[in-house]
Amino acid sequence: MAESEEEVDVLVQRVVKDIANAFKRNPNIDEIGVIPCPEARYNRSPIVLVENKLGVESWCVKFLLPYVHNKLLLYRQRKHWLDREALVDITCTLLLLNPDFTTAWNVRKELLQCGVLHPEKDLYLGQLALTKFPKSPETWIHRRWVLQQILDQFLAVGHNKNQEQQGEAEQANAERSQQLSDHLARTLHQEMRVCSDAACRYPSNYNAWSHRIWVLQHMAKGNGKVFHDELSSMRLWVSMHVSDHSGFHYRQFLLQELITEHYQTPASATINGSSQHWSSTVPSSSPHQHSCTQTNGELSGAEAASEDDGQLSFTTVLQLFQQEIELCSDLIQSFPGHETLWSHRRHVFYLWNQWKREQQHQCSSRGDNKSIHLNDSDPGMSEVSPQSYAGREESVNGQRHASEPMEVDRVSLPNPHDSKRLKRGVLLPGTLTLTSEHSFVNSILDSCCNPEQRRFAVAYKKWLDTVIGLQS
Amino acid sequence: MKLYSLSILHKGATKANLLKAAYDLSSFSFFQRSSVQEFMTFTSALIVERTSQGSRASVKEQEYLCHVYVRNDNLGAVVIADTEYPQRVCFTLLDKVLEEFSRQVDSIDWPSGTPDTINYKALDIHISKYQNPREADAMTKVQAELDETKIILHNTMESLLERGEKLDDLVAKSEHLGNQSKAFYKTARKQNSCCEIM
Repeated sequence: MAESEEEVDVLVQRVVKDIANAFKRNPNIDEIGVIPCPEARYNRSPIVLVENKLGVESWCVKFLLPYVHNKLLLYRQRKHWLDREALVDITCTLLLLNPDFTTAWNVRKELLQCGVLHPEKDLYLGQLALTKFPKSPETWIHRRWVLQQILDQFLAVGHNKNQEQQGEAEQANAERSQQLSDHLARTLHQEMRVCSDAACRYPSNYNAWSHRIWVLQHMAKGNGKVFHDELSSMRLWVSMHVSDHSGFHYRQFLLQELITEHYQTPASATINGSSQHWSSTVPSSSPHQHSCTQTNGELSGAEAASEDDGQLSFTTVLQLFQQEIELCSDLIQSFPGHETLWSHRRHVFYLWNQWKREQQHQCSSRGDNKSIHLNDSDPGMSEVSPQSYAGREESVNGQRHASEPMEVDRVSLPNPHDSKRLKRGVLLPGTLTLTSEHSFVNSILDSCCNPEQRRFAVAYKKWLDTVIGLQS
Repeated sequence: MKLYSLSILHKGATKANLLKAAYDLSSFSFFQRSSVQEFMTFTSALIVERTSQGSRASVKEQEYLCHVYVRNDNLGAVVIADTEYPQRVCFTLLDKVLEEFSRQVDSIDWPSGTPDTINYKALDIHISKYQNPREADAMTKVQAELDETKIILHNTMESLLERGEKLDDLVAKSEHLGNQSKAFYKTARKQNSCCEIM
């Protein structure tokens, strides 16, 4: 069928139209796909709409794609005229079949800039293309461009607000600004969903995860609540994708951002004041920070507010890292033999170690006695599994850490009182130490016979000795 | 980690007979699901046919692992999972469903049964519960019970086949695979793309 040029012409025009009509008929299409079908069935459109899924029969792709491709190139070379509506339809068909065709996205950028296309439309088209091609770099790149347009629009309104400070204009602007920030919050949420979906469709989908990072950096900067929510909502996801390095890298990014942006020491806090206006980007009330104030009741009220913040940061950061290491221990024990988990542990412990050193440095340079909180630590460990205790005991008896008497002193069996305190949510400072890491590795080596797992454990031990051991 | 299919079969003299199956194909593209399901059924039957009585095996095919257990009474079960999913949980699951199935369904019905005639409904519940292996099973216990060295590991489907046999021929000859699935297999084979097929 449809071999001659004219026939192809007719066929393609029909298919492009069918696709456009399908979107008009059902605005809720949420997935596209190719249906394996080597031959055409006469008098039936190759475009199939089932529920909210749009399918293209595979036989027509080889006619369709080169044809629309050429047509768009001819338009670009000014050899062939297409009106705006035709351009919208042709680029749509083209991008659903081949979303890495940059020229088509560029044509859409122009249409968007002259107001023919709404930004939402392009985000939607990209989202559909990603259901079939979850990695497509050009689609992600275009998404970021569209999001930047939306952000610029938001900033422009914010700017106007500062200039006109009078009466009705101000109120109208405030309303508009509220609308826009709601809209932005929805867009952010939607982007997170698109990224999750793509990450599920393709394992270790670097493009999707790095897009997610970009979105947070540009649309939620300074908004601690969003970062905290992300950290907790990704917990289950990484637990079910224990070899997805990109997913764990995203957690590392979140941790890093949280400690540098939100729990930095008071001295450096002012530097970041410029990002303050971003807090309004997405409505937030940072409940997490408030709850932390309560756990900090021991501090005397005479202490300066900044001092209070510093202590607050410390307990919160410690809690963050403890929870992350606990999650990591749990996953390593449940799913032996995944290198991703071990490299995540390295990164988390390294981050913690760096942060702790910085704090100590700052404390000692300021000459106050807060470093006591860091070193004068209670015994106790975050994991309460009997295995890890057994392992620890052995490492003490065996004097493996004889070269670090300070560390060994700290390692005694925790009493029940401590674990009760842990359950109450009161933190034990210093529970994340080189010694606790060593005892974790030893407990794995003592109990596990999976050869891969043992190899990773030994490598981690070596890393602790060389990289971390030399630092401290 | 994901479980895609869980099926119970009876190993006959030459053919394996499907008794009951459950699938979770939500992670596949909508238009591929029916073909993927046919391929999972086809693969499960093939694996049971080529696995000897009283043995356990794991067959790796692209990024999928098919775990099989055929008991001495010729009742067999296959679970198809991704490579992340812990192997020993799969074998516990197989033990468990076979035990349950043989208690509920009379062995007279095994050789001639079909998914429509067999009255055993628990597979769907098992496959959804076991999607999260940690909630489904106390794994420490499983570790003690299963001797992993006794599980035969095949690195490809091809290694199950006899000399001169080809997977492509078996697919082409199969009565259980529809035309669309066969076309699907051919394109996937050509592109050598794992996600496309099964």
